[in-house]
Amino acid sequence: MRPFLIAVLLASLGFGAVLAQDTRRDADTARAIEQTAEEETVLPDGEGRSETFGYCTACHNTAIIRRSRFTRQQWDGLMDWMTERHGMNPLEGEFRTTIVDYLARHFGPAQVPARGRNPFLN
Amino acid sequence: MLRTGVAERSVQELYRDDPERADALAFGRRGALKGAALAAMGAAVGGAIPFASTMPRGTLPAIFARPAAAQQPQVLRMDGKAGLTLLGERPLVAETPEHLLDEPVTSYANFFIRNNGGIPDAVTGDPRAWRIRIDGEVNTPLDLTVGELESRFPVVTRQLQMECGGNGRAFFTPQARGNQWGNGAISNGEWTGVRLRDVLQAAGLKPSAVSTGHYGADPHLSGATDRPSIARGMRIAKSMDEDTLIAFRLNGQPIPHIHGAPVRLITPGWPGSLSQKWLTRIWVRDVMHDGPGMGGTSYRVPRTPIVPGSDNNGRDFVEQESMPVRSILSSHAHGTRLPAGTRALDLRGAAWAGDLTVRAVHVSTDFGATWQEMSTAAPANRHAWQRWTGRVTLPSDGYYEIWYRATDSEGRMQPHAAANWNPQGYNANPISRAAILVG
Repeated sequence: MRPFLIAVLLASLGFGAVLAQDTRRDADTARAIEQTAEEETVLPDGEGRSETFGYCTACHNTAIIRRSRFTRQQWDGLMDWMTERHGMNPLEGEFRTTIVDYLARHFGPAQVPARGRNPFLN
Repeated sequence: MLRTGVAERSVQELYRDDPERADALAFGRRGALKGAALAAMGAAVGGAIPFASTMPRGTLPAIFARPAAAQQPQVLRMDGKAGLTLLGERPLVAETPEHLLDEPVTSYANFFIRNNGGIPDAVTGDPRAWRIRIDGEVNTPLDLTVGELESRFPVVTRQLQMECGGNGRAFFTPQARGNQWGNGAISNGEWTGVRLRDVLQAAGLKPSAVSTGHYGADPHLSGATDRPSIARGMRIAKSMDEDTLIAFRLNGQPIPHIHGAPVRLITPGWPGSLSQKWLTRIWVRDVMHDGPGMGGTSYRVPRTPIVPGSDNNGRDFVEQESMPVRSILSSHAHGTRLPAGTRALDLRGAAWAGDLTVRAVHVSTDFGATWQEMSTAAPANRHAWQRWTGRVTLPSDGYYEIWYRATDSEGRMQPHAAANWNPQGYNANPISRAAILVG
């Protein structure tokens, strides 16, 4: 009986160690994806790109920008919303104009359905 | 509207292939549209461009050249995970394509990923030593380890649907803020844990208790340590629901790290953000909880419909609570091509309706002219999704769309178009369409 219990104990300890290892590995994998390096050139070229890239990627990567299609007014409102709700440093003056203009110019309202391409033609 | 024609196609192709070069060619060194480029652009936009000389450089790519990421989905590459659609790396967000949701119980591989903050550190010691605190409007604040939770309270196992509050957001026009989910921010895992209500009753709710506030270990995206990434809460009534769990196992295994190890809330049928991952604290409040992710336009929808695309501070909005009825098709991916002569399709999918159940699922293959009822199974338990199956026949080869829609237990169907537009895009649940080509 006793050797059996010891075996069970050892097995459960081993199992726990494997799990802790798995958890650490999973965390590392997820972190590696989070930290995927991005270059400014992932955004379309144009005045304000550097400012936009630098300011926005302090918190999030550009995926959410690249998938967004808003009017200038909506982009402008979003700057306040991020400050009020997510603690972004207030964006003001010429710097704000540069960034909002850039976003509105390159990520204006969508002309194509969000669903994307015709799967049989593209 | 864009006119079809040689000029349009060539300009579009140019922008699609090399937007920078296209922009340079079209606008020239002085940044003004001229000559042949101006004529081509006019043809492409369907008319002359009176203010071409002041048209800013860079305007055209937004019209013609969608950034590649918006057109070609990026695929998540992560050990143990299927090829989910990567919506963003930071925060890490990935959607499950509907055809991967073909399992009655959602596996780890096919479980969607949503984070509001960063990925916290993995637990280095015994995960059962992780502590959670219950405080606020309670008679006896509790500080419990996961091990104590498991030994002190009845342990239950349930299939529970858990869905992002923004599921279906991409169906809104104009676009709403946030991750552009299709229908794939849904899961139906088998969760094991203890009922939140048992824990709250052990702490003893004071009569002043109005809501819960949830806190987790994930850091704020900015790296700021003085604010949580998100901390939402719910009315006490939902916290006392028998299916609201403090969970520590998914599908019989310890919860994977990315899904909130070692312990998280599961609040089925309500926005997924109420299912706090890496749970550390439940603060019982004497007012409606007001942490990050509460109030304004966050997880709130208009009481009175507003003009799509208009500004609104959400003051008159109401909380998004039970999620609306929705269905998925899991047997055939959008864009499936089938052999010539195929005349019948065996369809499968799932449907759910927040706190309610699904009464029926209907399918149309003729753009909604006629509908056929599918066979919808009962849920495995309350708050589990329901699987549906059925066969449709096709009269010939050709292009078809499978339209699918569910009806909830109160008779509400998925609408033809996403209704009640709101700035952050909640509750878009229109009838879905999958394109099929036979031959």
